[in-house]
Amino acid sequence: MVSNRELTDLQPEPTGTRAADIRAVPVRHPGRWLGAAAVAVLMAQLVHTLLTNHRFEWGVVGQYFTTKSVLVGLLHTVELTVLAMAIGISLGVILAIMRLSQNRVLSMTSWAYIWFFRGTPLLVQLIFWYNLSALFPRLSVGVPFGPEFISGSANAFITTYVAGILGLGLNEGAYMAEIVRAGILSVDEGQVEAAYSLGLKRVQVLWRIVLPQAMKVVIPPTGNQTIGMLKSSSLVSVISVPELLFTVQIIYARTYQTIPLLIVASLWYLAVTTVLTIGQYYVERHFAKGASRQLPPSPLRKLGNDLKAIYDARRYVH
Amino acid sequence: MPDATFTEPTTIGAPSGETVCRVVDVRKRFGAQEILRGVSLEVKAGEVLCVLGPSGSGKTTMLRCINHLEKIDSGQIWVDGGLVGYREHRDRLYELHEREVARRRANIGMVFQRFNLFAHMTVLENITMAPVLVRRQKRSLAAERARQLLERVGLGDKVDAYPSQLSGGQQQRVAIARALAMEPKLLLFDEPTSALDPELVSGVLDVMKELAADGYTMIVVTHEIGFAREAADRIILMDQGVVVESGPPAQIIDNPREQRTKSFLSKVL
Repeated sequence: MVSNRELTDLQPEPTGTRAADIRAVPVRHPGRWLGAAAVAVLMAQLVHTLLTNHRFEWGVVGQYFTTKSVLVGLLHTVELTVLAMAIGISLGVILAIMRLSQNRVLSMTSWAYIWFFRGTPLLVQLIFWYNLSALFPRLSVGVPFGPEFISGSANAFITTYVAGILGLGLNEGAYMAEIVRAGILSVDEGQVEAAYSLGLKRVQVLWRIVLPQAMKVVIPPTGNQTIGMLKSSSLVSVISVPELLFTVQIIYARTYQTIPLLIVASLWYLAVTTVLTIGQYYVERHFAKGASRQLPPSPLRKLGNDLKAIYDARRYVH
Repeated sequence: MPDATFTEPTTIGAPSGETVCRVVDVRKRFGAQEILRGVSLEVKAGEVLCVLGPSGSGKTTMLRCINHLEKIDSGQIWVDGGLVGYREHRDRLYELHEREVARRRANIGMVFQRFNLFAHMTVLENITMAPVLVRRQKRSLAAERARQLLERVGLGDKVDAYPSQLSGGQQQRVAIARALAMEPKLLLFDEPTSALDPELVSGVLDVMKELAADGYTMIVVTHEIGFAREAADRIILMDQGVVVESGPPAQIIDNPREQRTKSFLSKVL
């Protein structure tokens, strides 16, 4: 037993002023420091070789970085990415809705589409579309099994560019379908019931309630897919679509400056990826509306907070 | 609102005799389990019916059937003179097109246990969406009416808030305003205070008492015996998918006849 008197002895004396902030020496982490040092040495080596290895031919990189043909190739790459993603996302939404339909024909068709386009390599699909005219020399629009309204040679419709967009877009649709489906399933059932109970119709519930709320789940992987698409679009170089990679390949086939021109292409891919990453951040912020009580701080604000934290920590130690 | 106005709820908004909702021998099963085993009840215009009973007794299912959120297996449900979910023509039943189901649902307001406010919309958008989309009201008119309704449930200052910024009690009052904005002929409450912290319950119940006094026709599934005593014109007690006892509050709460009513009340009072 501890007597009352002893207990009161254990209580801190009220000092009248606020207790002083704790000033303690932080724990040291020699393991981490060793690791950081090793990484720093490797990084230094990398920078050194980038600067001193003349085979990088940085001059050539600079020379071609903004030539017209490279910029036109870049434009085509961006165009392919935008169009293929537009097809992919629209198709994805339709396929996701079909997949969740109570009609077995619709849901099974969607399932089979996803199965096929996810199950075969994109490169094979692209070459397939490129060679479509071998399978269907003539294409036509008309009544199924009935009269035709428009018809023509498949090669006239399916140019290499169209084959590229179709190949990328149709493949993307399969992946987007699963992403959109996950988004739709993430929306609480109660939201749908509340909307029905107010007299909304199925389509209205989907567009006004379910899809906007699914966006929160859909956007991050879609950003991922878009960045992936930017780079997958280089695959269409095999069917001679004059996008970024194909353009630099044409140039280095002539000049034999393979490495510097691949660097030119890579730098542009990195640049566009950076822009897309920033764009994704702001789209996410937009759709975070109502999801959390406060919007997350912007990246600049976060950087400021980090710097402040480091500054404060240093002040403690000294 | 002072409680004094509610001491004689039966005299305010007394049943006019016109039947708003009639449930006839309704059965509903989920898989092998029969949740509703022949439920019948009737609610007249301006009447407040409170539904009591242990959990699993089918109260919520019955409410969801009235709004056609669940399909019934047999029996009939009439709301406002129309059969819920079906059309009768020459002794045959035809399932209603979803357009028609939606049109009828618009006349039935529902307040859920978990509020179910639309998370991506502000309070104002939550309330104005259905009047604008379904009733084709002008946006400005709907907004004005929404502000009045928010004022009425004591949340005039929360117009632009998102649901996540509100407490449970505030969310539920917004949900009530959202239901009222459609000017429903019948209001269904599915345990509206069960998900609330104890200190938030009275705010919601006060609003509901006010609605009862204003003559709204309401079916309230609840565990709040005090509310039922004060606001209900009639109480039914459900157990194991059937209505065990039905009558005015004084009879059901103070002088229950059925053994099952007695044992239920002894547990909750």
